[in-house]
Amino acid sequence: MTKHGYEGLLIVIEGTDGSGKSTQLELLKKYIQAQSYGVMVSEWKTSRLIAGVIDDAKDRNLLNATTYSLLYAADFADRLENQIIPALKSGFIVLLDRYYYTALARDVVRGQDIEWVKNLYDYAPEPDLVFYLDMPVDVLLKRIIGTTGLDFYESGRDVGFSTDFYKSFEIYQKKCLEQYNNMKSEYNFKSIDGTLPIKEIHNVMSEEVQKILDSGILY
Amino acid sequence: MSKLTEKHNYKGTLVCVEGIDGSGKSTQLALLRDWLKSTGQDVIFTEWNSSELISQTTKLAKKKNMLSPRTFSLLHAVDFADRLKQVIDPALKAGFIVLADRYAYTAFARDVARGVDPQWVRNVYNFAIKPDLAIYFDINPKDSMERICANRAPKFYEAGMDLKLSNDPYESYMIFQGRVINEYQKMVDEFGLIKLDAMDSIHSKQVAIRKMLKDVLNSKGVKLQEKQ
Repeated sequence: MTKHGYEGLLIVIEGTDGSGKSTQLELLKKYIQAQSYGVMVSEWKTSRLIAGVIDDAKDRNLLNATTYSLLYAADFADRLENQIIPALKSGFIVLLDRYYYTALARDVVRGQDIEWVKNLYDYAPEPDLVFYLDMPVDVLLKRIIGTTGLDFYESGRDVGFSTDFYKSFEIYQKKCLEQYNNMKSEYNFKSIDGTLPIKEIHNVMSEEVQKILDSGILY
Repeated sequence: MSKLTEKHNYKGTLVCVEGIDGSGKSTQLALLRDWLKSTGQDVIFTEWNSSELISQTTKLAKKKNMLSPRTFSLLHAVDFADRLKQVIDPALKAGFIVLADRYAYTAFARDVARGVDPQWVRNVYNFAIKPDLAIYFDINPKDSMERICANRAPKFYEAGMDLKLSNDPYESYMIFQGRVINEYQKMVDEFGLIKLDAMDSIHSKQVAIRKMLKDVLNSKGVKLQEKQ
């Protein structure tokens, strides 16, 4: 029996920005598809209607901590009810780039009460597997600076930790990592060292997934 | 712990009106606003689903009927949180009388009537400030329908057509608004809403409301400069 009771499987990859989630998701998707299973991928903040509002509000700096939390929760509710649950019901393997653990980490760092945030997401189905890409903060910082650069919200500049961009980014990401660390055992994360080579991480993930597939749960 | 059950310590005063469509709340609030302004009070008015951040999106989504009750509930909460932080909270700190046409109770009534868990939605709104005066205009669905649908059919959402209770919008309106009223009734005790009969005359309701508000303001040491 799956953990949520639906026919399909729910597999999540969590981790901060720059931890390699999307690369691994793509590899895992191919791995599963090669075995003739139906796969659906859904990424954080991609609901048709609400994602645009979030981006626009961020651009115009309109968000406070509460509206930030609630908008992301609305985006999640829309994707969950319109995409994820229907796919699970029809037996798909759903691969998610981030789940509500992302909201728990980010919202709590923004000062929200953790119980309040948990309530927002308390109806979400429990995943069958949660992979967490664990990254030390210094490696993470270099990776992000070297690729996408410092984003305003991803540096927590809206929270006002520091007027120095680098400093603010460092504090924000450290606090997010702390939150993720707190969640590891509570939510049964399979924590993987994110500094390992891409191939090695993929091997760990595909082995875990294969175990579930071999159990015959999807037949 | 919810702020909705704790008395606030702001200098200002928060008044809200609640009730289904056609219960006369907006008329009463407009009369109250004009009167308060005439007495020299600083008054500010805010209404449900009107924030710059999200109200247009919510209206668009309604038109297309594309979102679930839970998502709608969260979008209305975004609207409310935005107005609370941008308008209501600063105005209360500055000592204004804030008049709110609908408040968190509207979400508790409508969202629960749409099947959202009552405790869940109460937790979502637990940052809402408790009003000094919350008035509920009680009307039955039939009278409300006669008032608002005198020359048009009930609209999709006000009739709760998204719930597929009936294919007939009039019948659906009666069932759905009956559920909403049922939720309001429960809140009279739960949150101390003050119930007024919507079928009383405009004048008698306004007299009652002014009296209640004067008492609230007196208890806060605010004196109104009434013209004789």
